[in-house]
Amino acid sequence: MSCRVVITGMGCISGLGRNLADSWSRLAQGEGAIQSEDGAEPAAAVAPEWLDAALAGRDLRALGKLDPLSAFALASAIEAVEQAGLFGHPVLSERTAILLGCGSGGNTTIDTAYERLYARRAARVHPQTIPSSMISAPASHVGMLLGAHGPTFVLSSACASSAHALGEAMHMIRAGRVEVAIAGGAEACLNPGSRVAWSSLGVLAPDTCRPFSAGRKGLVLGEGAAVLVLESADHAEARGATVLGELAGYGASADAGHITAPDRAGIEAAIRAAHGDAGLAFDEPALISSHGTGTALNDAAEAAALRSVYGDGLDAHTVIATKSAHGHLIGGAGAIEFVIGMKALAAGIAPPVLNYSAPDPACELPLALEPTPVTHRTLVSNSFAFGGLNAVLVGRLAA
Amino acid sequence: MAVSAEAITAVIAAESGLDEARLTPDATLKDLDIGSLDMASVAFELEDRFGFELDPENIDPEFTIAEFVAYVQSLKRAA
Repeated sequence: MSCRVVITGMGCISGLGRNLADSWSRLAQGEGAIQSEDGAEPAAAVAPEWLDAALAGRDLRALGKLDPLSAFALASAIEAVEQAGLFGHPVLSERTAILLGCGSGGNTTIDTAYERLYARRAARVHPQTIPSSMISAPASHVGMLLGAHGPTFVLSSACASSAHALGEAMHMIRAGRVEVAIAGGAEACLNPGSRVAWSSLGVLAPDTCRPFSAGRKGLVLGEGAAVLVLESADHAEARGATVLGELAGYGASADAGHITAPDRAGIEAAIRAAHGDAGLAFDEPALISSHGTGTALNDAAEAAALRSVYGDGLDAHTVIATKSAHGHLIGGAGAIEFVIGMKALAAGIAPPVLNYSAPDPACELPLALEPTPVTHRTLVSNSFAFGGLNAVLVGRLAA
Repeated sequence: MAVSAEAITAVIAAESGLDEARLTPDATLKDLDIGSLDMASVAFELEDRFGFELDPENIDPEFTIAEFVAYVQSLKRAA
């Protein structure tokens, strides 16, 4: 390993709250954000006033019309970069990468244009429809906010997008291409078009998200973003930054099998690769932030993979599944779950898996079903996407 | 029905991201840094709401807000 990659800033926004502190205080008390509306499957939505508050006072005029996707990414980036104390720092200009993961682009903007086109038979749509909805817009917007001229792009691997983004950003720092990476991901998919498409796929729970529980009926959509400031340990030390933890490992694999069904072997390969990359022994008790969507097939495949990788030692670990609280952030899921996992390590509390009703023999895991004190210093954060794209991250508390 | 100056400046503010207080009658579009993408967006919204055609190419960057408002109101009368 050429250099250690440390975390100096973390931000997130989701149905749980407008920032990490608010989100964590709800999680630690076992609160969730999933709500039902009349006639639609439940979801976990960001309150519009949180977004306004997060972006207040920033000159965003040059950015143009913002889809919620970009607004979420900006809110989280501002929180993370403020915490890292990097606003205005010269490293942002040339030696910083922006690497975000998104499962899809600005869906609300596209929905609005299509509604004009197909429902109202309008001849034109808003002139900013393309720049506002392009999947790369969030990276451009964050870069414009920060004045960052280094490598900047969005990568997309469905529900693993932001986990891949964090892992690849870590490697950019290890390789010496940049000193700092602003990395994470976002998703904004609670617009009518996206919701009906997810619903039509038959994966949305009609009741709520119950990861690894008997009677689980599917996933619940969330929305939001999470962004981290990653930094070479040398750079962080030289500027006297407060180190929150380390992004110590990343494993990625592809099932190359089915477009929606999970594959245990692919999941295992990614977990093993992440351990190998981090030099993390399988028997070191860790907080495992599962992908835990609450679908019948996914949870069973992940549970079988965990049992296979860790064997009887699995029970020394603690498994959490925070999609039960913030819903599935799709492209933003890997990043928000990594951020929450690091916060849980620092707080020494595993946030509970919510809505669990009864054990499922196919999912026997050491789950935290109540806010549970833990002494783990290591996080293993799993993301397994449609299309068989798997990414696992390893985080460590600062020494 | 005539389009009020307030309604027009509200659209400019919303589409350009500028604080409405800055849109004084004597400020020019150029001084306010209202560029071509902003103007295309303003034109789109005005057309959409008030039902007339406004070609952004006919908008001189040296127009003041007052001149722009008067131009839009003349289009509305002609529509």
